[in-house]
Amino acid sequence: MSIDSQHVLTRPGRASPVVVSRRNQFNEWLDQHSGRLFIAPAVILILLFSIFPTIASLVIAVSRVRLSADGFKFRFVGLQNFTKLFFGNDQIHFLGRFTEMSVIGWVLIIATSVWCARWLWRQWQAGFGVIGFIGRLITISALIGLAVVLAGTTLSGNQWGTLGTTMFYVVVGIAVQFGIGLGLAILCSQQIAGKNFFRVVFFIPMMITPLGVGYAFRMVADPTVGPFAPVWKWVGLGTFAWASDPWTARIFIIIGDSWQWIPFIFIVMLAALENVPRDHVEAAQVDGASASQIFREITWPAIIPVAATVLLIRSIEAFKIVDLPNIMTSGGPGIATESMTLQALFAWRSNDFGSSAAVAYLLLFLTVVLCASFFNFVVLKHIRKEQGA
Amino acid sequence: MQNDTRVPVVFDKVAKSFGTVKVLEELSLSVQPGEFLVLLGASGSGKTTALRILAGLETASSGRVRIAGRDVTEVLPKYRDVAMVFQSYALYPHKTVGENIGFPLKVRGEAAGAIEAAVKDAARQVELDALLDRYPRQLSGGQRQRVALARAIVRRPSVFLMDEPLSNLDAKLRGHMRSELKHMQHSFGITTIYVTHDQVEAMTLAHRVAILEKGVLQQLDTPRNIYNDPANLFVAGFIGSPPMNFLKGSLKDGRFEMPGGQLGTALNYSVGAAMLGLRPEDARVVPIAGAPIRGAIYTNELIGDHTLITCEVEGQMIAVKATKDFAGQPGDPVGIDASPASAFVFDATTGARMR
Amino acid sequence: MSDTSPLRPLPMRGLAQRLFEPPSVGRMAPGTAILVYLVLAIWTAFVVFPLYWVFITSFKLPQSVSEGPFYLPFVDFQPSLHAWNDLIIKDWEDTLRAFINSVVIAVGATALAVTIGSMAAYGLARIQYKPKFGSIMVFVVVLLGSVAVTTLSGLDWKIVFAVAFALFVLLVRALSRFFIRRLGNGDILFWMISQRILPAIVVIIPVYMMFQSMGLVDTHIGLIIAYAVTNLPIVVWLMHDFFAGIPQELEESAQLDGASRLFIFWDIVLPLTRPGLAATTLLTMILCWNEYLLAVFLSTSQAQTMPILVAAMNAGDRGILWWTMCVVIVVMIVPVVLMAVLLQRFIAKGVLTGAVKG
Repeated sequence: MSIDSQHVLTRPGRASPVVVSRRNQFNEWLDQHSGRLFIAPAVILILLFSIFPTIASLVIAVSRVRLSADGFKFRFVGLQNFTKLFFGNDQIHFLGRFTEMSVIGWVLIIATSVWCARWLWRQWQAGFGVIGFIGRLITISALIGLAVVLAGTTLSGNQWGTLGTTMFYVVVGIAVQFGIGLGLAILCSQQIAGKNFFRVVFFIPMMITPLGVGYAFRMVADPTVGPFAPVWKWVGLGTFAWASDPWTARIFIIIGDSWQWIPFIFIVMLAALENVPRDHVEAAQVDGASASQIFREITWPAIIPVAATVLLIRSIEAFKIVDLPNIMTSGGPGIATESMTLQALFAWRSNDFGSSAAVAYLLLFLTVVLCASFFNFVVLKHIRKEQGA
Repeated sequence: MQNDTRVPVVFDKVAKSFGTVKVLEELSLSVQPGEFLVLLGASGSGKTTALRILAGLETASSGRVRIAGRDVTEVLPKYRDVAMVFQSYALYPHKTVGENIGFPLKVRGEAAGAIEAAVKDAARQVELDALLDRYPRQLSGGQRQRVALARAIVRRPSVFLMDEPLSNLDAKLRGHMRSELKHMQHSFGITTIYVTHDQVEAMTLAHRVAILEKGVLQQLDTPRNIYNDPANLFVAGFIGSPPMNFLKGSLKDGRFEMPGGQLGTALNYSVGAAMLGLRPEDARVVPIAGAPIRGAIYTNELIGDHTLITCEVEGQMIAVKATKDFAGQPGDPVGIDASPASAFVFDATTGARMR
Repeated sequence: MSDTSPLRPLPMRGLAQRLFEPPSVGRMAPGTAILVYLVLAIWTAFVVFPLYWVFITSFKLPQSVSEGPFYLPFVDFQPSLHAWNDLIIKDWEDTLRAFINSVVIAVGATALAVTIGSMAAYGLARIQYKPKFGSIMVFVVVLLGSVAVTTLSGLDWKIVFAVAFALFVLLVRALSRFFIRRLGNGDILFWMISQRILPAIVVIIPVYMMFQSMGLVDTHIGLIIAYAVTNLPIVVWLMHDFFAGIPQELEESAQLDGASRLFIFWDIVLPLTRPGLAATTLLTMILCWNEYLLAVFLSTSQAQTMPILVAAMNAGDRGILWWTMCVVIVVMIVPVVLMAVLLQRFIAKGVLTGAVKG
């Protein structure tokens, strides 16, 4: 090899010449920068279409936006869009109607506060960390805030707003979905015939467009021409329209949402159950444990990490619920089934971009705080306990 | 293989730490051209790290690495002209045996015809010619091992690196592949660095063995010298099966004294606290009357060609290799003797050999 | 019985035991079996019935829908192809356009998300990145400032962003030696995956305005970008686990043999993750296929997708055209359900590996 016709490659700053032929220079350049090349497109895409709009949305949320002939006009209005939601015209829409607080309301507020104080005190005793403490304060303010809203509205005999409705969909919806999904997964993990058939059939609803789910349930639940109309008539509810009562409307939406999402929990929990080491279960059988004891002592601890992750994923998606209430009830009766995303969508339709962005930002805040709290104070705590043991 | 492919490899004060954990401390050793050097150590001794630094898969925290006189410390792996056989063989499961072996040449952009010829040649040397169209999953452990070897030799590297290549084979096959490897290295004459935790592999394969412990080089010598003349307590205990006996006591004018007996050594001075090392095969069972060390039989195990006797001497255990017809029962009193030349003395605190 | 065993005597089995206690390990007691199959059958009915109802409704005439519930075709109502005829023969142009739009957008967005997402996931699984925390903070502050200046002062955004970019480069140059804290791959991965938390409604208004200024509203490219970005976190998350599961020695071996990163990615890594890649692709495609909210915002006529066509059956003075709507839903469901059958094992596996790692 003669050095003249070759390109001498060195890493910057270090003298370690290595001989490379010139025609490979481009490939060399590509290889040396491959680290950045791999990650750059995704970073750029996220920065442009996710981070940038998020920041821009914050600006919109503190502005009044007008559509004019030459595009959008922004005027800075401070926190007006937010104060409107909390204290102004839109308070009833967003938080709900407040009147005299009922006794149950006070009980809930006091109970939440006491629980939070106890939790904080325990953490204080276990060891003080500034970031952890601030995180806990944020979690606690969110929890107490939600308790006050709940206590002041529904528990005092008033209607809650889109905040309460969204939390209802998240909490009740996920509880129902997790319970049924796990139950079905347990049944399907037994030695049953046709396991694969049930697995596939139970999985299907997840693949259906939410729009289709909404309309399908509207048809099926129709009290006059739906398939259960004779049953309604027979029990004397023939003229009862579920969509006109706030609670039945919400429950129907939860049923539709559950129909769609139980499959997700089912399929993941089934995989987790089948992953539980067989010899652990067999050891417990030899030791004489009953089926319920085996589940409590062996299976459940083994699937907790998966369960926590599934709950986290599911709640992240559940906060965004919009298609089903939009299709099934259009948010009605009144605003009884309107979720926060739907409120933002309606605000956008009426060209009230500032309010729309403000509601969206509050939803983002709520999602991040609650999901991060769940992850940090429930999931991570459990993982640490596992590793410590 | 011609002689000009035999290249030296030098580690010059190579150190590596991950965060605050030091895995390798200033390793300096030079490998002669064409030498078969074995890095021997338990897991966590830093032997694999040393090999990966040589391959370029890890970067040294300090120090230099030289292959054939060129400083390659900062050079990318692909320019070092080394081939490596991994413990798991690292065969590409989606490629056939032939494609696996030809991969290094394909990457270099060689012509298809040349690749095919080289692959056939390499496969013949490891007796795989009939299996070129199979996939790795269709092969036995030994065959996979040979594919990995063929992939390493196909491009005639300057240096072979092997990371525990035999540890995934069963005992019988391991013995066979060991002798194959030794033969192949001898006929190619390529400088080879071989990492293992198995002392038998190290003793049988190596020209020289480097023993590592906790990132520090303990001894670098021929297998014979390492066995006969261990540098310290660790090396003495690591090499030999069953392992060397260590007895606590003191040295007085060259005689080792311990509760329950004493033994002559090759030394002639006194030390307050010393450790005596005695290989089971160097110790003898003698009648108790007049024996230098006296104890009682704890267990006896018939191994086949010999009996391994463990004796208890005032709370310390000594293993002794006896003949296969040894007839003592547990509890019987017994005497132990050994020649002064086979008794190694070590410093009780540092573990260094006392000469 | 002459049970002379010294062991504790076996208990007598009462009716409850015989019904609910398994006769031996691995077999189910008759009572339990009946309960289990009953529950499974009820749930199967609950899952299938709405789909069945949609399916038969697509063959009903308007009067079969409005005159009260009819359950069985040929038995209590006469099935008709009129709705299918309306949609596929009469309005075939609209239907075909929506269908093609949906296919183009779903395929395009999936290809974009999977390509970019798996590249990033591979980089994060195998290459060390150490961005400086301080530089990122500077970036965010400069970006926030420039957005605020553009929107509130009315200056031309091109000028503002050019100035902002120059400012960013200068600041990072000047300050970089004060930035000590570095982020790792885990932080970048978390950042990418956490984008999924972002409700689409937060970004949709600025994205709409951006697209409008770039002429991307109601175009395929606009929706492709929007869908790709929303699904990128899922791709990165799933693919990262698949890549991390490949034995690193395979890549190290190829590296020693002289292969470049890109070649290793293409020739070794991607073929090995083919099942995971297929599952991620199908999942992303289904999510894009079904998406509705973004489509409402970003398409007005030309780029309308199938879900918009479904919703369109609701508008009009005659109320909801249930029969044609059901045809559209059936057309949307069939390809997806076929995929679902192929896909369900992979999804569980992907989520599981992610979950086990925590």
